[in-house]
Amino acid sequence: MFDLILFLILLALGFGFGQYLEKRHYKSILKREDQLRHIPAIATKYLPAEFLPCTTTVVAGNVVISIDFFKKFVSGLRAIVGGRVSSYETLIDRARREALLRMKEQAVKQGANYVFNVKMETSSISKGRRDSIGSVEVLAYGTAIKTVDC
Amino acid sequence: MEYSNPEIPEGINTSKQHPLKDFFLLSFGVLGCIVICAFILGLFAERLALYIPFSVEQELMAKIELEEPAAGNTEYQAYLDELGKGLIAHMDIPEEITITVNYVDEPIENAFATLGGHIFIYQGLIDLLPNENALAMVIAHEIAHIKYRDPIAALGRGVVVGLFLTAITGASTDRYISNIISETGTLTILGFNRNQERRADEEALRVLADYYGHVNGADTLFKTFLKIEDEMDMHTPEFFSTHPLSEDRISNIEKLANKQQWSVKGDLTQLPGFIQDQAK
Repeated sequence: MFDLILFLILLALGFGFGQYLEKRHYKSILKREDQLRHIPAIATKYLPAEFLPCTTTVVAGNVVISIDFFKKFVSGLRAIVGGRVSSYETLIDRARREALLRMKEQAVKQGANYVFNVKMETSSISKGRRDSIGSVEVLAYGTAIKTVDC
Repeated sequence: MEYSNPEIPEGINTSKQHPLKDFFLLSFGVLGCIVICAFILGLFAERLALYIPFSVEQELMAKIELEEPAAGNTEYQAYLDELGKGLIAHMDIPEEITITVNYVDEPIENAFATLGGHIFIYQGLIDLLPNENALAMVIAHEIAHIKYRDPIAALGRGVVVGLFLTAITGASTDRYISNIISETGTLTILGFNRNQERRADEEALRVLADYYGHVNGADTLFKTFLKIEDEMDMHTPEFFSTHPLSEDRISNIEKLANKQQWSVKGDLTQLPGFIQDQAK
């Protein structure tokens, strides 16, 4: 009985805070994406000739986001029956966009106009332990280009 | 060539569905399936367990050494044996079933029936009872469990449903999910338990009516429980209990006595002098 009440409280807290933080995060992501749209992040590995000559520097954005209790519980139930784990999708989406934004912010500080050869790596922190709340880490990195006017 | 990062519409990589919808669908779906499976498995296991011969129960219990009553307790043991025998005579117990009433000199307020026809009555429970009728209700209730072979049915059910739940929870990596699943299964099992208790209450009441000619004192124990629960402010909902609620048991006794026209008034039989002395 006590366990059940504790569980419901954790679930409600997880849902309340999780939803609030997620909404707030998306709001900030949308705002910053608008602000940083002038720095395109391009996935191509080879720099087109028109960007030469230029100075290059590596830029990286890294983020770790933890899943909340509610999402973890729903995904656990989902794991029994299978299907689209929608509770994790927003988590990964937020993490990737946040990492890209941080990378771009670094590029702005370098005075760069573009980031080429953008790559991302996703890894989960705290793997395997049954009672741990999972966190996801996303690293975005690329080569920031600052074109030099001749 | 133009290089840019245009604004991409939202909701491609994420789901627009409200998270609570997913939660309710999954919770009720998964837990509902577990309840249904545990219920069906429990039902089959219970029925099949009744085909296990009583001698198997006896063999199982023979491996456990039961303590002989201490020298000072032989009076109690003899009295309980006597009362037990008197009640058994009214109970139409199948021939192969043997019943042993064991007295335990410990201050625990409990009595239970287990495999091999063994019944255990604790001193703590006897201390709560003001007369023989109330004690007879307890003993008859436990004998009724043996008569219907409830201990082996509970064991069969426990093993099968337990195995089922272990298989599912083992597959889940989340501790809370495992807990919720096993709790759900356990709560399903409790439903069976409560039914067994109700049946044993009814049989015990019938035996009391037969033995004493009335059912006065049959509800004393439950009234005592109710008082203790009130004092300790301990009100567990029936859903979480192994037994039906004390107030329901009392009202069931009244209803059944009314229906069968058993007298609820009658002289109460006193407990023997040595028990009364100890109580004092």
